[in-house]
Amino acid sequence: MRTNAFVVYGGAALAALLAGALLALGGGASPLQAGAALWEGMFGSAYAIGSSLNTAAALGLIATGFTVAHRAGLVNVGGEGQLCAGGIAAAFAGVSLPDATPTLVALPLVLLVAFAAGGAWAAIAAWLKVSRGTSEVITTLLLNFVGLAMVLLVVHEEGLLRQPVTSSQTLPQSEPLIEGARLPLLGLEGSPATIAFLIAAVAAVAVAVLLRRTATGTRLTAVGHSVTAAARLGLPVRRLQFWSLTSAGGLAGMAGGALVATTPFVLAESFSSGYGFAGLVVGLLARGSLAAVAGVALLFGLLASGGMNLQLAAGVPASSVQIVQSLLTIFIAGAVILRRTS
Amino acid sequence: MSAFVELAEGGVRLAVPLLLASAGELVSERAGVLNLSVEGMMLTGAFAGAVGASMTGSPWAGVGFALAAGLLAALLQAVLSVTLRADQIVTGIAANALALGGTTYGARLFFTDGRSVPGFEPVLGPLTVLGCAGLAVVAAIGLLLSRRTGYGLAVDAAGADAVAADRTGLPVAAIRYGVVLLTGLTSALAGAQLALAEVHAFTDNLTAGVGYLAVVAVIAGRWRAWPTALACLFFGIAQALQFTAPLLGLHLPTAVLVMSPYLIALVAVSGLVGSSRAPAGLTVPFHRESR
Amino acid sequence: MIPALELHDVAKSFGPVRALSGVSLTVQAGEVHCVLGENGAGKSTLCNLVNGGVSLERGTMTLYGEPYRPSRPTDALAAGVAMVHQHFSLVPTLTIAENLLLAAGARLRPRRRELHEGLARIEETYGLSVPLDELAGHVPVGVRQQAEIIKCLLRDPRLLLLDEPTAVLGPADVDALLATCRRIAEAGKAVVLVTHKLGEVTRAGDSATILRGGTVAGAGPLAGFGAEDLVELMVGRPMSDLDPLLVASVDESATSREAARITAEPVFRAQGLTLSRADGTLALDGVNLEIAPGEIVGVAGVEGNGQSELVTVLSGAVPPGSGSFLLGEHDLTFATPRGRTAAGLGIIPEDRHHEGCVPAMSIAENLFLPRLSEFARRGLLDRSALHEAAARVIEEHGIRATGPSARMSTLSGGNQQKVVVARELALDPLVCLVAAQPTRGLDIGAVDAVLGRIRSAAQAGAAVLVISSELSELLALCHRIVVAYRGRLLGPVPAAAPQARDEIGRLMVGAAA
Repeated sequence: MRTNAFVVYGGAALAALLAGALLALGGGASPLQAGAALWEGMFGSAYAIGSSLNTAAALGLIATGFTVAHRAGLVNVGGEGQLCAGGIAAAFAGVSLPDATPTLVALPLVLLVAFAAGGAWAAIAAWLKVSRGTSEVITTLLLNFVGLAMVLLVVHEEGLLRQPVTSSQTLPQSEPLIEGARLPLLGLEGSPATIAFLIAAVAAVAVAVLLRRTATGTRLTAVGHSVTAAARLGLPVRRLQFWSLTSAGGLAGMAGGALVATTPFVLAESFSSGYGFAGLVVGLLARGSLAAVAGVALLFGLLASGGMNLQLAAGVPASSVQIVQSLLTIFIAGAVILRRTS
Repeated sequence: MSAFVELAEGGVRLAVPLLLASAGELVSERAGVLNLSVEGMMLTGAFAGAVGASMTGSPWAGVGFALAAGLLAALLQAVLSVTLRADQIVTGIAANALALGGTTYGARLFFTDGRSVPGFEPVLGPLTVLGCAGLAVVAAIGLLLSRRTGYGLAVDAAGADAVAADRTGLPVAAIRYGVVLLTGLTSALAGAQLALAEVHAFTDNLTAGVGYLAVVAVIAGRWRAWPTALACLFFGIAQALQFTAPLLGLHLPTAVLVMSPYLIALVAVSGLVGSSRAPAGLTVPFHRESR
Repeated sequence: MIPALELHDVAKSFGPVRALSGVSLTVQAGEVHCVLGENGAGKSTLCNLVNGGVSLERGTMTLYGEPYRPSRPTDALAAGVAMVHQHFSLVPTLTIAENLLLAAGARLRPRRRELHEGLARIEETYGLSVPLDELAGHVPVGVRQQAEIIKCLLRDPRLLLLDEPTAVLGPADVDALLATCRRIAEAGKAVVLVTHKLGEVTRAGDSATILRGGTVAGAGPLAGFGAEDLVELMVGRPMSDLDPLLVASVDESATSREAARITAEPVFRAQGLTLSRADGTLALDGVNLEIAPGEIVGVAGVEGNGQSELVTVLSGAVPPGSGSFLLGEHDLTFATPRGRTAAGLGIIPEDRHHEGCVPAMSIAENLFLPRLSEFARRGLLDRSALHEAAARVIEEHGIRATGPSARMSTLSGGNQQKVVVARELALDPLVCLVAAQPTRGLDIGAVDAVLGRIRSAAQAGAAVLVISSELSELLALCHRIVVAYRGRLLGPVPAAAPQARDEIGRLMVGAAA
């Protein structure tokens, strides 16, 4: 069983790597050149590693939330929308607090507001699920697009979050957050890595303990495997479902808050960068293991910054990384059958 | 007054790709396969259509390219969803990312020197020949695969109860392959419509969520043909309104128009108004030998 | 004469489980051939092999002298083999007419005229007809089965397989079905009737093959077997060795035991319970029932007459439309499942895999899911205490498993049911036990264990309600039997009464008590 999983993941990685090499060739660089550029982009500088860590933190938070909901049998496709809700709420809080608010007050407040907003966004789907039986896959998917449009709305309307328009060059984005609401850097030389990474790590560990070592975790597992049996045995099925999906949204919202509280400290049109969808994929690939969530999130974060350097240094389109990532996902998802039959 | 005409014309024009893609997707979901990859299939079709038209100088050859590419993309989705019984949501999202990455990559290599893409011009009101052909395809699907035909019944049977359908002797896997491939063809045609009849070019992420909108239309239409078509038309008008609202003297934020289709679908699917039932076997893979 | 179907040395395994090995069998055209066996003897696998549902591992099959090896149901249908499935093959969201049209293959224009001609022919030959415009999911189970049989006959098959066809039927419908089988055989077709109920066989069959543990225990013309021989072949022990209760579960002719005297005040009181279905009809139509401590009351009846709904209402899955349900002092009418458990109501659900347990979780977790907070230490779950407690239960109830952390899904059906029973009996106090189809799908050893536990629960003072479609089992186990008919409970009939079986049979079709 273990060797089989190893073969599946190894094979998928190898196949994706091969595809990457071909893409590099197609882009006019030798695979070695491209590999070097990718490596340089991933590990070559403190800056690269730092920005990878920031990306990984956001993906990890979303994937951790996904895992909580998935344990209760719910598929949270809505990370993107919840991320947007969290980002909007964080931006509202972060620009309207008095300038002098100290970090110890402002930052927790901003993150908490982001968590609450992401949770509330997911709670819509969760409520529809437990009260009307509407599939959370469909509702969370739809809420993504509404959330993205909401960001569009608040950054374009001056009455909402748009910075004062002084010229035609004024970008549709919010004013920067106050100093106290910004995520402190980890303090590594030349690295933009913020404490978001620590927050994500703490969240992952806490969730791992919750799921594996507590009665609540076991109850969630029971609900995830069989709603009817769990209900028959007196478990509060609806409450468990509602709160698991809502907390998943909260964690995604917090990721949104963290993104807004990282340079350039504004809410902009495309601030989510598709992290919600990528986080979903991380959660799916990790298949319920929080250790795997951390690993895959890190890998995806590194690949993202590696891809940018790939374009800059080797002239290979950055979309190569997107192709390789999606191929990896497809191979692993498609190979599930091999493990199922073994 | 002319602003209203413009709105109506724009709405119809933008509804055509939606109608095409959601016609295929509706049939596919009735048979139990959810293709989130409609977006990717459309994008692939748009890219291949633009490449084909640009290379040969003939927009019709572009349409041929688009159909072939859409079929290929659909084949990937079908192998994953039906044969490998992979998670349809994951593979759908991943296939969209693949299509986005692949076409962006391809565009970097191909559309480098400002190549021109020959397209279609309007012949019937706002519609091009391709648009008319698209509507004909939609009508044909509506007629041939309605509940009144044996094929339509077989599609519904495969989606409602695959085990019973299999025992009845219906080729469930073949039916599901068929509907996914059909979705690939109609989605690619929809993509070609965008690239060759609307934009006359290929730009990165040309479809920009129209494919998701087609899936949403099926949901908003509660898996029924006429409501789905109506949803497509409405979504088309909502898109057109983004351009014509100023002409009509409306001061609606674009974002409100952008989110309206999704809100409508959310209300339709949530069962807050009327009842809504997805096919029982939607996203459930079928496997015979499990005892 | 060329046999219609011949199996030679057939074998099939599912993973490590050997479902069939070395099975040979011959079916002649024009006869009704019975395949008999207990649950788990390999009957379903045999059906699926012939029907193309699973593929052959070893051995050969021939159909009317030709090599026969279907790899999917379509192949079987093309070769003239049709099967009436135990759980049917009708798409519930299509009308019966649409289902029948599909059976003729998917065509652009459905052949409605041919269908009506075919139906007229079948009505003339076999006297079968169905309402065509009703949704298949909305008609009673007996009608659905008729539609299923008609669907098979429309293809004019050479061989008709029926898998446990009487499980869902009342006595009158069973008689009609067996008569239909005879007529089909007389029309020159071969009929294979797969069942674990002996009564049917002696009435309808010409010859039989008896399966036990995946091998053939005996075969030949039915005239050559006595009822006792058949039981012994199925069970593998002489009849005199068997507990009468066990015999009751396979043989209709077993005698019922003496009724005990129950004098205590009733503790279980259901009054005027009603429940509506989605289409507005009443699934429960004023159910009244009282059970005293120590008393075992059985609910017999054709499936679909409200038995399942009664259990859902009693277990709290669905609130009743009106009426009340009291357990001792507690009004449980609208109580949560947790509240019911606290009041001392144990429930053995009908659907073990979906309601009774969580197959993907361990035995320990399944045993203690409702009481996990008892194992919490400083917010964390004390797994070693949990496993110790589970190990004690496993020992006490003779559950065969590798240990407390073994997954439920790795257990046999009988051992899974033992876990469910152990969990429900562990309630303290156990005021009332509701057992729905407690022995369905179990082998005879597990049946014995489960029924023994239920009986001792009653002896310890619990009021017991057993819902079962195995009438013989109810007759042997219960003090009183009521009959579910169209959402009402008819009777009661004392189980010890000499005419109990006939009386219940009449009530099952709605005759006045």
